Amino acid sequence: MAIHLSRRNFLKTASIAAASVPLSKVVAKAETGVAKAPLVPPGSFKDTDTVVGGVCEMCFWRCQLVGKVRDGRLVKIEGNPKSIDNGASICARGNAGVKLLYDPDRLKYPMKNVGKRGAPKWQRITWDEALDTCATKLKNVIDEHGPESLAIFPHGASASYPFHFFEHTVGTPNVSEASFFQCRGIRDMAYMATIEQPPGENVDMPNTKVIFLLGGHFGENVHVSHLKRYLKGLENGAKLVVVDPRFSASAAKADIWVPIRPGTDTAMLLAIMNYLIQNDKYAADFVDEYGEGFEEFAEGIKEWTLEKAAAECDIPVAQIKEVADLLAANMPNVAIHPGRHVSWYGNDFQRQRALACLTGVLGAFGVKGAFVPPKGPKGLKKVSWPHGDHDPDLLSDYADNSHDFSPPGTPTDLIRDAAITGKPYPIKGCVIWGQNPIQTIPNQEKTIKMLEQMDFVMCTDVMPTDITMYADILLPECSYLERYDYIKTGTQWNFADEHQQYIAPRMPLVDPEFERKDGIWITNELAKRMGYGEFIPTKDQVEMVNTRLAGVGLSIDKIRAEDGIHIQPGKDPYGISEDMTVIFYNEDLEDAGYPPIPTYIPVERAPQGYMRLLYGRSPVHTFNRTQNNAWLMAAMDSTPVWLNDKVASKLGFKEGDTVSLENQDGVKSRTTATVKVTPGIREDAVYIYHGFGSINPELTIGHNKGIDDTSLITKLAVDPETGCHGMRNNFVKLVKVS
Amino acid sequence: MHSTESQAPKLETELSTEASLLSEIYGFLALAMRYPDSSFLDGQFLDAYEALLQSLEWKEEYADMQKWRSQTGDFLNDLQIEYTQLFINASPGTTIPPYASVYMDGDRSIQGKTTEKIKDFYRSCGYEVTSSTEPPDHIQHELEFLAALAGENRREEETLFLHSLFRPWFIRFLKHSIQEARHPFYRVSIQLIDFFTKEEQ
Repeated sequence: MAIHLSRRNFLKTASIAAASVPLSKVVAKAETGVAKAPLVPPGSFKDTDTVVGGVCEMCFWRCQLVGKVRDGRLVKIEGNPKSIDNGASICARGNAGVKLLYDPDRLKYPMKNVGKRGAPKWQRITWDEALDTCATKLKNVIDEHGPESLAIFPHGASASYPFHFFEHTVGTPNVSEASFFQCRGIRDMAYMATIEQPPGENVDMPNTKVIFLLGGHFGENVHVSHLKRYLKGLENGAKLVVVDPRFSASAAKADIWVPIRPGTDTAMLLAIMNYLIQNDKYAADFVDEYGEGFEEFAEGIKEWTLEKAAAECDIPVAQIKEVADLLAANMPNVAIHPGRHVSWYGNDFQRQRALACLTGVLGAFGVKGAFVPPKGPKGLKKVSWPHGDHDPDLLSDYADNSHDFSPPGTPTDLIRDAAITGKPYPIKGCVIWGQNPIQTIPNQEKTIKMLEQMDFVMCTDVMPTDITMYADILLPECSYLERYDYIKTGTQWNFADEHQQYIAPRMPLVDPEFERKDGIWITNELAKRMGYGEFIPTKDQVEMVNTRLAGVGLSIDKIRAEDGIHIQPGKDPYGISEDMTVIFYNEDLEDAGYPPIPTYIPVERAPQGYMRLLYGRSPVHTFNRTQNNAWLMAAMDSTPVWLNDKVASKLGFKEGDTVSLENQDGVKSRTTATVKVTPGIREDAVYIYHGFGSINPELTIGHNKGIDDTSLITKLAVDPETGCHGMRNNFVKLVKVS
Repeated sequence: MHSTESQAPKLETELSTEASLLSEIYGFLALAMRYPDSSFLDGQFLDAYEALLQSLEWKEEYADMQKWRSQTGDFLNDLQIEYTQLFINASPGTTIPPYASVYMDGDRSIQGKTTEKIKDFYRSCGYEVTSSTEPPDHIQHELEFLAALAGENRREEETLFLHSLFRPWFIRFLKHSIQEARHPFYRVSIQLIDFFTKEEQ
């Protein structure tokens, strides 16, 4: 740059030249954002206010929060001291919510993609243009192909309202929630088929004698009040059994660690139950009273001797017997944990059925330390979109396997395959709300193919993610710290304490910035533009929450005056209802062509030279959701590859080596990570954290950090009963980079 | 005696004229840093922009601007895409967030401690950011504030603000913008801001 003039000289001499420059005229066209205001002397003190009503959503446990707010700025998040759930405690992620709120990479304005899907170029647009475009494009798809031609991928509290609009009122059944189809749906459906209720994680750990975990890695998996229950149980002397191919944080606290061969858990559970029954060490009275089809069940699992299971599971006979005897000695006060993320091997419904049956065999329902659902508050009103008169055409009706025990929605692969093949009908419009299907759904290539053939893709999110790169229109949503939506309810965390219930509606701790909008507003505006205005069930987020609370005589204002949480007397949760049934032999399953008793279905073992890829949680992350969080990434920004020490020495790897991973289909990880050499994992498996290695370069911190496990899960496994994915049937080898 | 007395008001008048021109320039540059829309970013704006470059004798920059204007089919659309890429969200590539706190507060944050300081400074001078979707430490608002101060010929406060709350982050922003801002309009605008805000050597 050739600068001939200094600023001062220019200003001095520019009067003539400046006269020809109509700056003042140009400047006058737009109003300045800076306006005269009352003078505030420098150094004036500003109070920090405590704002109540926060409900966390850094993960989905939803701890109750307060915000420390100064001059409209959230400076700190704390647990709400009034909480009888998490109390004043929150985890690292809860604290780091501030960094999500003020992340400069966050979505700020509606944008349209003027580049390509997957390689976007964004242009900020007005809300009107964004909503008009979405409405027109989605309407065109519906008019041409019917409502079924819309696929919806929602996730999180704010996604319920929009996806119910599309599902109930518009009429598409093609909704795939990651929380069901790639997480806990199998558990819920298996328990429904066994004890006729989804189990949550409702085991009375503080008051139990034995905690039995199958894959649960508490401590790495941090849900505050759940951890409090677990740790109180251990403090009170509970024995801990951890079945896991890896020496997890829980295994490290275990009395018995069972390093089981991955995929064989059901065999072990069947052998335990068979041993207990054959040796008369089961809860015979409970089974007589509440069991259904127990004899057929007992007969059907007879083949599962301890020896047979030990061989299949690659663990000693004595260890299975030790676990079985420990459970028998302490029944019924044992906590057989139902798990949470259970979409592992494509044989998972059977394993979850077996867990529920084991709970029944031990009579571990309704008594101290057993499976005990809390008795939470009742009576909140529902606000939902009305069902239209459209009779939806279900993809499962065309499928070879109709997945009769599918959780609500449509199994992901039925949607994806229909979209890719156009059969039995085309799927041409896609609404993604708070989910990142690139990181939740295995086989990314197929997901991308599905997206590429769409006529229109709309995404709503808080942050840029891998999936937002595929949006045509991208809408910025308020975060959980800036909106009303969910009403968290529950009881005191320890049933040994005074029985209490709580109602805690999420309230904003600060106002939204930029042009971020809440999901109710966005959905209503879209509905109006699509011609469904008359069906709108609530005018805004405040009205929705107040309507729901009116069912129990409360309101936002009342609860705010009660410091954000309404607490009322609770009920004793112990006891068994008269209609309790444990369905050991399920005829409905049999009629649908599935095994009526829990059945072990073997899965493929690692081919020569490969190890099974296992994944799990980092204690300071919620998978991909926290990948750009400055504080959390400062604590943990990669995915150490757990490798058995003997294998490492045989293959010539040492601690700290940089490696990439390559799977059985020749797919290589895009990024690298370092090796963690440990005796704490089986020789036939490696382990990394899930959710890393984001593709999207808009994530300044999170882009390409660690290895994306989902990119290596290319071989699909689908659980036959539920249609949910199994995601631990892929195998990798390590490739040394340095 | 007489001559000294008559020179002082003359100097004041000169300074006042300079301040008023500077206020216009700050205001103009604030607009350049605002998301472009047709209400202000039109042909006349770009003519004024070119005239300013000519007055400054920034020949290369003037030529770059002219070249872009002659080549673009839709300058507003061009600038909207470019602005989004540079200052809002970009992929592939990196944005250069135009907020002071992102550069000053250690761990890349909007609404950081610096935002609070800047807001307090505005208030201590009797100003506040109103009716904006952007935080008060957005470069547009900082320039608007400088325009307001210059308009009132409040040189001391202007200098203090530039020195303590503007230049320290702007020089980092400038460094990033040299790597990222390829479009002549934004590259030159940021250079102009540098020119008009840096302390005289």
